[in-house]
Amino acid sequence: MSEPVNNLPVIHVRGLQKSYGRFHPKAVLKGVDLTIPAGTVMGLVGTNGEGKSTLIKCLLGLLKPTGGEMRVFGEDPWNLSPATKARIGYVPQEPSLLPWMTVRQQLAYAAAFFPNWDAKFAADLICRWKLPWDERVGPLSLGQKQKVAIVLALAHRPELLILDEPVASLDPVARRKFLESLMQATADGERTVLFSTHITSDLERIASHVAILKDGRIVVCEELDQLKDRVKRLRILAGQELPRSFAVGGALRTEINGRSALVAMATVEDGLVEELRTRWNADVSVEDLNLEEIFMELHLD
Amino acid sequence: MQVTPLQFEVHPSSGVPIYRQIMDQVRALIAGGKLATGDVLPSVRQMAAELGINMMTVSKAYSKLEADGVVSRSRGQGMVVDEPGCVGSVSDRRRELQPFAEQLVVRGIQLSLTDEQVLTVVRNSQRELRETQSA
Repeated sequence: MSEPVNNLPVIHVRGLQKSYGRFHPKAVLKGVDLTIPAGTVMGLVGTNGEGKSTLIKCLLGLLKPTGGEMRVFGEDPWNLSPATKARIGYVPQEPSLLPWMTVRQQLAYAAAFFPNWDAKFAADLICRWKLPWDERVGPLSLGQKQKVAIVLALAHRPELLILDEPVASLDPVARRKFLESLMQATADGERTVLFSTHITSDLERIASHVAILKDGRIVVCEELDQLKDRVKRLRILAGQELPRSFAVGGALRTEINGRSALVAMATVEDGLVEELRTRWNADVSVEDLNLEEIFMELHLD
Repeated sequence: MQVTPLQFEVHPSSGVPIYRQIMDQVRALIAGGKLATGDVLPSVRQMAAELGINMMTVSKAYSKLEADGVVSRSRGQGMVVDEPGCVGSVSDRRRELQPFAEQLVVRGIQLSLTDEQVLTVVRNSQRELRETQSA
């Protein structure tokens, strides 16, 4: 490759496919395209069972894809070199810890694997989250285990952090603290984060980019701000009954009820609102949508 | 005068991107006399930490305000509020105000206020704002 290494996207996926089952294969990923440049904080959303975890596990080389092409730091995830593995931090959906160790032992154990282990940073996080240093990991609550797993994933200061539903079992206070720590850990703007979640408000707080996985493909992958600036909902109240055939070109979804209509638009071209106003003698208001609403609009058809 | 991040209120789950919320609030603080020419905005790091948002989002808001001529980057100080200037022609600026006027008019009708009574409300708030600015 002629490009310098630091210009390469951290994650590059083309046409990724993954099916489960040998005799009656069920396709989960049907051609995923995803490019994540360095410094991006990318939130991955999708309904349950859409394949978010499958995608993440393929990226980490924990699952072998059925087809397509993948590169993580320029390497094939199925054959990652140890040096590249050390640049990645991963928090699985269900934390896998060693239940007989104390928190202190668990940290010391993990530290031995990583040359870049930042013990001070790890200790700060343990204190910040009020985790018990000398209690065994096994009996801790799910939320506390999750926090330990997050500390383990952050403490070697990875360049790429991959989190699968990291906050699903945390309470709102812990979620907020986690997000703050994540922001601190990535504050130099050089670290890349990919996290899956179904809590869109967390994503909106910290993500720079959003990717939406639907029907086995990435249907949206762009800057969050750009997405919000682009997708709008038109609320129309016409002077007369709207015909059933009422349609606006490029609509994501249309709902008609007598004189009024709701139309979700992927983009609102200049002049469209004015045109609708004159053509239907209508009041037209343009509504901003948050991520949850955009997500719903993409799934309601 | 010094504003702190606590004077900002961001709603991550609003349909309005966070960077635009920050831009609007800086403009509102200037219009309300709470930020004057030469005042310094809180640092990007401070804002991000206090509001619990991504630093890139704050940088983006500040850069766009700079491009709009509202603030300028000053070495060692951060973002400094500029001399208030007019951006765009009178008709552009009027068009920008139009939607707010529509809201006001509709609300006035809902409250059964006469046109004159609505205008009185507008004049009163203009006067109040001028008084707080000069105080």
